[in-house]
Amino acid sequence: MATTATITLTSADIAGDPVNVSKTATCTKAGATTDLDQTTGLNRVHLRSTTNKVLLAANAEGNNLAAKVYIINKAEDPTLYVTITINAQTVGKLYGGDWMFFPWSQTDTAADIEVAATNWTSSTGDIPVEYALFHEDTDFLTNA
Amino acid sequence: MATTTATITISSTDLLSDELALTTSATLTQTGTATGVEDTTGLARAKVISTAKGTASGQVTLYTADDFAAIPYLYIKNLDTTAGNKIFIYDDTTSGDPLQFQLDAGDWGFIPMHGDKTYKAYATTNPTSIEFMVIGKDQ
Repeated sequence: MATTATITLTSADIAGDPVNVSKTATCTKAGATTDLDQTTGLNRVHLRSTTNKVLLAANAEGNNLAAKVYIINKAEDPTLYVTITINAQTVGKLYGGDWMFFPWSQTDTAADIEVAATNWTSSTGDIPVEYALFHEDTDFLTNA
Repeated sequence: MATTTATITISSTDLLSDELALTTSATLTQTGTATGVEDTTGLARAKVISTAKGTASGQVTLYTADDFAAIPYLYIKNLDTTAGNKIFIYDDTTSGDPLQFQLDAGDWGFIPMHGDKTYKAYATTNPTSIEFMVIGKDQ
């Protein structure tokens, strides 16, 4: 039951020689070669708040279990961004079109992944965000 | 102006009852503009020889605070092949050096950073090899 995540970074002109990085990770359970077997599926939310909202709630059972998170800001306006926070620490800022993928460390129950549409106003319109979680056996709640 | 593209593909033929095939690409641009990022550290390879954060030596500095203008994009991969040999990425700027991410053997991460924090890495096992690269606009 293999799930793989592949990143490809390419540029013909950012350096004197082309950049072409392509790496694949097989998503496995923590400290094991057993494949991850659960997912939230791809979720879509429309953000209209400048304050943090919980995108994925940490679970005490999740500490030291494997969880991989994919988040993308689907706004077409490149100036609209969302701020990603874990444990009150800003870990990422996604402008329109940007995505991130990272292993989620649920070090404690305060390690929720929170998101805020930081420069949203009533005139900008909602900021659509899509996300998916791939994880092992613990329950995750989503209430964004 | 350089054109740099980051593509992710997540796929599985058996995680769900239907095939999973998710692909998306982002053209990496300077903050809030359509202008492409111009600078990169290049792909670096290093051995992490520290198994602790804080004052211990041997951590690898992945990114130095404010080295790039927002948004710097960090790519990092744990090259180890033994499950459980993790890389821990922590914020060396904030008091208490809070843990940001941990990558098990073979894991990679791609993170558009806020850019105002220094990120360092330590490992479960000495040594653990990593590759990493920052792409953005130098300042």
